[in-house]
Amino acid sequence: MAGSTTTAAPTRSRGFQPFGGKGRAILLEGIYKANPVTKQVLGICIFLAVTNRVANSLVMGAALTFVTAMSNLFISTLRNSIPRRIRMIAQVAIIATFVIIIDQLFRGFYWSMSKQLGPYVALIITSCVVMGRAEAYAMQNPPLPSLLDGLANGIGYAIILVLIGVVRELVGAGTILGYTILPPAWYVNNLIFLLAPGAFFTGGFLIWILETLNPTSQEPPAGGTEAKR
Amino acid sequence: MISAALAIAVTTGIFIALSVLLLIAERYLVNYGSCTISLNSGSTLFDQPGGTTLLAALYDHKVYVPSACGGKGSCGFCKVAVLSGGGPLLPTELPFVSRAEQRSGVRLACQVKVKQDIAIQVPEALLAVKEFRARVAGIRQLTYDIKEINLELIEPERISHHPGQYIQLQAPDPDGGFIHRAYSISSPVYEDTKVQLVVRLVPGGIASAYVHLLAEGDEVIFTGPYGEFRVSDDPEREIVLVGGGCGMAPLKNIVYTAESRWPGRRLKLFFGARSTRDIFYLDSYKELMADHPNLQVVYALSDPLAPEEQWDGQTGFIHISVDKYLDAGSKRQAFLCGPPPMIDAVMRILKDKGMREEDIFYDKF
Amino acid sequence: MNLTPVWAVFLGSIFTNNILFASFLGMCSFLVCSNRISTAIGLGSAVTFVMFFTTIINFLIYRYILVPLGLDFVSFIIFIAVIAAFVQFLEMFVERFSPELYYALGIFLPLITVNCAILGASLFMVIRNYDFGQTVFYGLGAGLGWFLAIALMAGLRERMGYSNVPVALRRTGIIMLMAGVIAMTFMGFTGMLSTQ
Repeated sequence: MAGSTTTAAPTRSRGFQPFGGKGRAILLEGIYKANPVTKQVLGICIFLAVTNRVANSLVMGAALTFVTAMSNLFISTLRNSIPRRIRMIAQVAIIATFVIIIDQLFRGFYWSMSKQLGPYVALIITSCVVMGRAEAYAMQNPPLPSLLDGLANGIGYAIILVLIGVVRELVGAGTILGYTILPPAWYVNNLIFLLAPGAFFTGGFLIWILETLNPTSQEPPAGGTEAKR
Repeated sequence: MISAALAIAVTTGIFIALSVLLLIAERYLVNYGSCTISLNSGSTLFDQPGGTTLLAALYDHKVYVPSACGGKGSCGFCKVAVLSGGGPLLPTELPFVSRAEQRSGVRLACQVKVKQDIAIQVPEALLAVKEFRARVAGIRQLTYDIKEINLELIEPERISHHPGQYIQLQAPDPDGGFIHRAYSISSPVYEDTKVQLVVRLVPGGIASAYVHLLAEGDEVIFTGPYGEFRVSDDPEREIVLVGGGCGMAPLKNIVYTAESRWPGRRLKLFFGARSTRDIFYLDSYKELMADHPNLQVVYALSDPLAPEEQWDGQTGFIHISVDKYLDAGSKRQAFLCGPPPMIDAVMRILKDKGMREEDIFYDKF
Repeated sequence: MNLTPVWAVFLGSIFTNNILFASFLGMCSFLVCSNRISTAIGLGSAVTFVMFFTTIINFLIYRYILVPLGLDFVSFIIFIAVIAAFVQFLEMFVERFSPELYYALGIFLPLITVNCAILGASLFMVIRNYDFGQTVFYGLGAGLGWFLAIALMAGLRERMGYSNVPVALRRTGIIMLMAGVIAMTFMGFTGMLSTQ
């Protein structure tokens, strides 16, 4: 390849700007282009479980954003000091720590919600959203962009959660956040949407809509087609 | 406070307990005792503690089976025939071992684990391969991404090889351990205390990065010689050499060796490059041609020429020039070194000119 | 104290409380792996095996070490560590004693470590306050339930090779819809058991 250096020079002198060019790109990527749920098919378990109520979705979204952002930050800070062999274990330990913090906070101050969310808060640990970002981004990038990436992915995930939560709660119970929107006078609740099958259906339809709007290309991105001489 | 300390203590305690259990398990489960490797129907026997791959075991006993990927199962170079004791064929070996090979027991040495006594067959030539220590005597920049590395042998002091053969250079692996990469020997065979390599810097390549960072005086380790190129001893047979980029290395070796051994022998060298900045050795060849009328060297450039480039030679892909300059039917041997599409194109042309497949040797880079 | 009889726990964990169709766990690793029944069987057996043993080990650690010391908040980390260690151990064990099995299952083992279903089983064991007997049957049942779930979906996916799925629904979308329908059928089992 005749000397074409394509690395963009980082704008070091201006410091890291969250909403400037690079920051905006990270945010856009996390929230829309590579949305964890719909594009990367991560964190499905949690998504299906908590979206039956908008309140649950909001809280879980916030929890996940917190965990992803903070663990991205810490993993990125430590990325050069972690020996290769225990890389995965170290990541899991860091993520688990933040999940425990959030879980204990919920138990202490928000017990009713903790009971509602059940084991799914703990399952954030194995949720591929957090692990996936840690591996794919935090291990290769400096702390501040990693923090932003964590926030972006978390927010992207949270947005989807709330969107679906609204649909499910509205269709299933006629309410949003507990406030009746569709009066029982003429609206018959479609209870199935509050239950497991409803979760799957809504998820499927959502993916259908998003794939149609923003199709995933079939081939992997072009690259490495030059002869390896 | 106490609860936090207790938490840390118990967690650490449990982690340690788990690790200890795993270590014990490893000790007992992965321990295979000492196994005997029988080479070539018992002509040589090794005792090897079980658990390692066959490739690693053979290396430990100085049998240097070629490997380009360092044992990861991605190059397919390390084929040996396993007569017994190798276990079932692994899915990782399937892409590299053909049905016919499977029937004769061919396996990839890097995927076979030595867990019991095992009997294998390796080509005799492999047993002649040695490990060499050498010192970098000089480095020359040939083009913007190709360097000529001159190595002086330390131990053993001499290397005996056939023109066109290659060595496997050892380079440190960032993941730990070593990898090996094959590089052809470009110095002629009569210079047997040195080995010259022509190496292109491959973007992202571990070994070529290592080579390009070498300085005079550095020591390197390599094994060799390997390779099936055999120039026939018949001086009536014309030698046709076609290459591109660092495929020049073995071709240069053959040119100089042949000129020294059979001064009148007809030699044709075709070298394909993209633009004038990929050209090297042209002047040395021109000098050689002046003294040896039987040598014909053709360089062809394939990229469209920029206005400031001066090139009065051939253009287009190299196989076009091969087609142009070779007449049909004469007795010849061909050696091709370059990217797979180039080799395929040239092979078609050579066969059209009447060459037999067994007279064409190639290395796909 | 959970008063559900063990047979109810067992059947419940397979049918009415199927860990995939009712609790949504373990979808990720299934979605990304291949869609053939043979792969599903391999993965399912591996998961069942791991789930069974890890829930028991985790129960013992939880009940006899963490709770007495008031350290139940550390349980998440411990559970994951136990699961990871067990999978490592399993890999070594299988490789040593059954190379064929190792080559069939070996590629799944790393996937299992991050399978949410396995951690989920241990978490449910804690939440529902199972005792030892119930844990044993729950671990086995949850694993078998998951196995059943993915075998069903793999089979359907194989059949769907001949169907005309809209482009946007291919791969993930259609599986979700399929899972929804199957979840509905599994809900039909609810009347089977009158206790939880």
